[in-house]
Amino acid sequence: MLVVATRYVERVLRYPFGRADVRHVFSSIGGTTAVGLVLFLGFVFVAIFAPVLAPYNPDAFSGKPLEHPSNAHLLGTNDVGQDIFSELVFGTQISLIIGVGAGLGAVFLAVVIGGAAGYIGGWLDFVLMRLGDMLLALPRLPMLILVNALIGAGVWQMVITIALLFWPTTARIIRSEVQRVRQRTYLQLAHHFGSNRLYVLRRHVLPHITPLIVFGLVTSAGRAVALEAGLAFLGLGDPAAKSWGLMMRYALNLPGLLLTDRWLWWLLPPGVCITLLILSLTLVGIGLESRLMPGLRRQ
Amino acid sequence: MKQRLILYLMTLWAVLTLNFLLPRMLPGDPLQALLDPQSSTYVFDPATRAALEADYGLDRSLLEQYAGYLVGVFTADLGHSIRLNQPVIDLIRSHLPWTLLLTGSALALASLVGIVIGTEAAWRHRSMWDTSLVTVSVILSNAPVFFTGMVFLIVFGVWLGWLPLSGGRTPFADYSSLLAEMRDYGSHLLLPLVTLTLSLLGGKFLLVRNSMLGVLQEDFMLVARAKGLPAGQLKRRHGLRNAILPFVHHLASHAGFAITGALFIETLFAYPGIGQLIFDSVVVRDYPVIQGVFLVVSLMVLSANLLADWLSYQLDPRLREA
Amino acid sequence: MSTPLLRIQDLRVQYSPAGSRGGGTIRALDGVSFDLARGEVLAIVGETGSGKTTLARALLGLHPTETVTGSIQLGGRELSGIREQEWQSIRWRRIALAVQNAGTAFDPVYTIGAQLQATVRQHLPLSRRRAVEAITHLVRSLGLDEHHLHAYPHQLSGGEKQRLMLAMALSCHPDVLIVDEPTSGQDMLSRRHIVTLLQKVQTEADLSILLITHDLAAVAQLAHRVAVLYAGKLAEIGTNREVLGRPRHPYTWALRNAYPDMGTARDLSGIRGHMPDPANPPAGCRFHPRCTQAVAECRLTEPALEHHDSRLVACHLGGLQTLLQARHLAKSFGANGHRTHASSQNGARQVVAAVKSASLEIYEGEVVALVGATGSGKTTLGKLLVGLLTPDTGTIAFQGQAITTLAGAQLVELRRRIQFVPQDPFDSVSPRLTVQQIVREPLDIQQTGNRDERNQEVHNVLESVGLPTSEAFLARYAHELSGGQLQRVVIARALVLAPKLVIADEPVSMLDASEQAKLINLLKAIQNERGMGLLVISHDLALVRKIADRILVMQGGQIIEHGPAGQIVNHPQHDYTRTLLSAAPSIDWYAKKP
Ligand code: SF4
Repeated sequence: MLVVATRYVERVLRYPFGRADVRHVFSSIGGTTAVGLVLFLGFVFVAIFAPVLAPYNPDAFSGKPLEHPSNAHLLGTNDVGQDIFSELVFGTQISLIIGVGAGLGAVFLAVVIGGAAGYIGGWLDFVLMRLGDMLLALPRLPMLILVNALIGAGVWQMVITIALLFWPTTARIIRSEVQRVRQRTYLQLAHHFGSNRLYVLRRHVLPHITPLIVFGLVTSAGRAVALEAGLAFLGLGDPAAKSWGLMMRYALNLPGLLLTDRWLWWLLPPGVCITLLILSLTLVGIGLESRLMPGLRRQ
Repeated sequence: MKQRLILYLMTLWAVLTLNFLLPRMLPGDPLQALLDPQSSTYVFDPATRAALEADYGLDRSLLEQYAGYLVGVFTADLGHSIRLNQPVIDLIRSHLPWTLLLTGSALALASLVGIVIGTEAAWRHRSMWDTSLVTVSVILSNAPVFFTGMVFLIVFGVWLGWLPLSGGRTPFADYSSLLAEMRDYGSHLLLPLVTLTLSLLGGKFLLVRNSMLGVLQEDFMLVARAKGLPAGQLKRRHGLRNAILPFVHHLASHAGFAITGALFIETLFAYPGIGQLIFDSVVVRDYPVIQGVFLVVSLMVLSANLLADWLSYQLDPRLREA
Repeated sequence: MSTPLLRIQDLRVQYSPAGSRGGGTIRALDGVSFDLARGEVLAIVGETGSGKTTLARALLGLHPTETVTGSIQLGGRELSGIREQEWQSIRWRRIALAVQNAGTAFDPVYTIGAQLQATVRQHLPLSRRRAVEAITHLVRSLGLDEHHLHAYPHQLSGGEKQRLMLAMALSCHPDVLIVDEPTSGQDMLSRRHIVTLLQKVQTEADLSILLITHDLAAVAQLAHRVAVLYAGKLAEIGTNREVLGRPRHPYTWALRNAYPDMGTARDLSGIRGHMPDPANPPAGCRFHPRCTQAVAECRLTEPALEHHDSRLVACHLGGLQTLLQARHLAKSFGANGHRTHASSQNGARQVVAAVKSASLEIYEGEVVALVGATGSGKTTLGKLLVGLLTPDTGTIAFQGQAITTLAGAQLVELRRRIQFVPQDPFDSVSPRLTVQQIVREPLDIQQTGNRDERNQEVHNVLESVGLPTSEAFLARYAHELSGGQLQRVVIARALVLAPKLVIADEPVSMLDASEQAKLINLLKAIQNERGMGLLVISHDLALVRKIADRILVMQGGQIIEHGPAGQIVNHPQHDYTRTLLSAAPSIDWYAKKP
């Protein structure tokens, strides 16, 4: 899923230039986007090869509790003797799964809902968009806290709830683009020639919203990563999935952590990782946005 | 404007209904579990259990429960905390002012600073200042607020020891004067405030800067300059005045961010606001409190929405027409 | 006029485009000089991208200082290089600008009145009340009233905003008013309104106006003098009458011909080629890639603005060249069709004067239509011009050479430059020759190049007239071709020597209506591409007016009327022209018949 998504990002960035060589693509997408893309692909790499990269099973008690960093344990061990570096490496998987999963879910909903609202219009449009407005007006974190407290969060529950909350922003953008495309003469002509709706959607509408889909994917993924980290930090994540947020929570639970140097290898690395992952997605998003700006502005 | 009002009323109703339905509809029947001796969340204290049974009235029909719930909400009766066996409304009442103080001041500070430096950065587009400010704000606004908070806590509280590590005031302090009291409150507020402000600042700065950049491209800015207006007037009277419109429009979502951020920061700094309340309640699945906090925060965000809409409407003559 | 109010000397605006990596400098304005006297209206004319708007902004000091060089003097005071604060007191108070897009020129969050007031009080020491009074007075004089002042920009129409923009520009009583495209994007009525308004304020306040526009009609009405800007340089500058009435610079000429006159049925072809890239202008004369008369020197050196009579023209050749000039041509035939000589006119035989004292000129790169009914003498005139007939009296000069006196090699060379497409294609090709032979014939006769090169030429020219170039087609004979194909072959034959002038006699009359339209458009396209002169002789005014820059109307052996196509079609002076026009086939015409 991930690979497909990243390839998509790359393709869209590359799109206006055809099959240009990589150097050309990088110089044309701008430095920041390139940095973001490289960073993100780095995380993807780590997530895929986690079993190879991590020296230990993150759940195994591979050392004594609270060891300092050493050659055996690059970032030391936690309070029960698990290798922090391995936890960090495997944590990448969870953040990426949640980020990309929730991003895909939100964008899928956004395409279906925004597309239907824009394409069919009328009362359906009104109802769907008001629903979106309402969701936008709701405070998301308390909402997630409530839901997670009630059902007890697993990774997939979290993906689904985040997706359910996050579709409206992208749906709005997609809706207005679909509306705009629908006004175009060639689309009306396609109808006139007797093509069915599915054909029109696939052939004429989809290509127009593809870049928006990628943009929505990137931005919602970034926000999902942040939310997951936050929820895990609050103790509302999946206790079985040891994500970066959860690592920080455990670290902070150790009394007096901040008074020693220990936070340097226990607390700081997951925090930096979360920041970098979100940052990488934002940077790609910024690059896409500046490319799509005329399109986004038109709404 | 009227349309927006209707939307907010409907949203309010949706929030209320969701708050009612969620615990009753979700799989696992979390409310029943509270009263089920077999479950892990069983409430042992008989007095609390009795209060819960009365609050939720689970033996009545759903409609009756709903009516009772709505009446409860409008009479400020939000049930009882499982953890403390106190009325939820009292708990909220004692915690909310702290949160309001924190979010309000952070929001105001971040807005003020964001507007000033956003305007200046756009005015000096592509200068070194502009570029570095943009870089810093992109990074700052992407770091999770609990992480930045931690770093501040370590730097200012632990390393430098300038500021208290936690709490909203010194416990059991006896203030010799009002000034001393305010100093104590202020020094406790400072770290959470700075953290929250900084985490909000990036977004606000970028928003103002980008919308200002857009405005500076407008024809009327060229005309204003051609009219021989001095730079200050150009920047503020025409530039900022227009650039502020999207900012105001997004005020509501910023308020949402601010409250979300505050929830984390309070947990981190053990600041006695509703963030703390919710954190403590989550650990023991104190549903009534979580629900109450959800309601109150929703209400706050909705009011912020309303305020933002009203402000936009006041500031932009084009909206008044529609 | 002693010292001019505004004197611009060698003004240049150059900058590197934002975000480009080492890209060339854009020379938006490249050494422009002119004067503007008090009370004078000077029009700056040019296509989009010629540097008009850059000029307007430069005069208000709106470009970054380091991008501007040269001198701007206002009432003797040097403005270039002054500080931003000093500019602030010049802007609007001395030089004001009514911008092009009045629609977006007002700040949307303030009322128009508030914006006018702020402007006035910025520059004039007026109390709030006096300022309001002054503004109200001004706005009334422009045909608007107070309620426009209380309105927000989005509540007003485009025309109203345009006038309010004018009011704003006039509000501080500037010495110089720059009006940027006041009429663009407006309907005919508001356009007329703005023009009269400008006329009124100009005369009332003895205002100096710099009118920046591509609307030549507005220029004709308003301007005293006209400056033509091309790719950041002045091409021509002179009085309105001179420049618009008799353009000298090939660009001005093309601009005028491309201008859509009201209701012209002419197909808009625009000026051939494109405005050069300002970052990379062509060497030599900037117009040379589009110029129909460019010579070798044009590619090498830039022409300077030089005096020609009372105007200034920047062209190595001193302006538009006359391709062909005929003076007082006359030709008579005997009644039986035999030629007679002028000396024997008083002989017994009846003499018909086919052409009586006809004079005409054809300029470089223009399409002229010679129209007249059958028997008006137009075909004879055409043959005289090509040299197929010898005139009884009168002279013909081609590119300055008198052809009537030419002989031998010179004549051969001349034939090469003037080509003729006769009326009847069947009559003009030998039935024994193949297509290839027909088209190659002129090359064979002139003995240009070797055989392969000639065949290649044939190939190219056939392609350009839209004919197949297969071996099979090349081997066909005339009778195997359709009328349209044959006519194209004849045209190809005329083009194969790359002539400067093609004279086509009723080139499409043998074809059906749809072929006619196709071929006439093809002719125009070829003319446009090659930049040659084209004289089309036809009886069908309706058809030729689609492509002609100018029309000559011929009756009874004389040219009775001539002028730009739009003028002839819309305002015919002569009854005969009117008859020709009304006789032009029109479907409506049948419908109107009782
Ligand atoms: S003749 Fe030469 S100098 Fe004159 S306009 Fe044409 S190209 Fe320029």
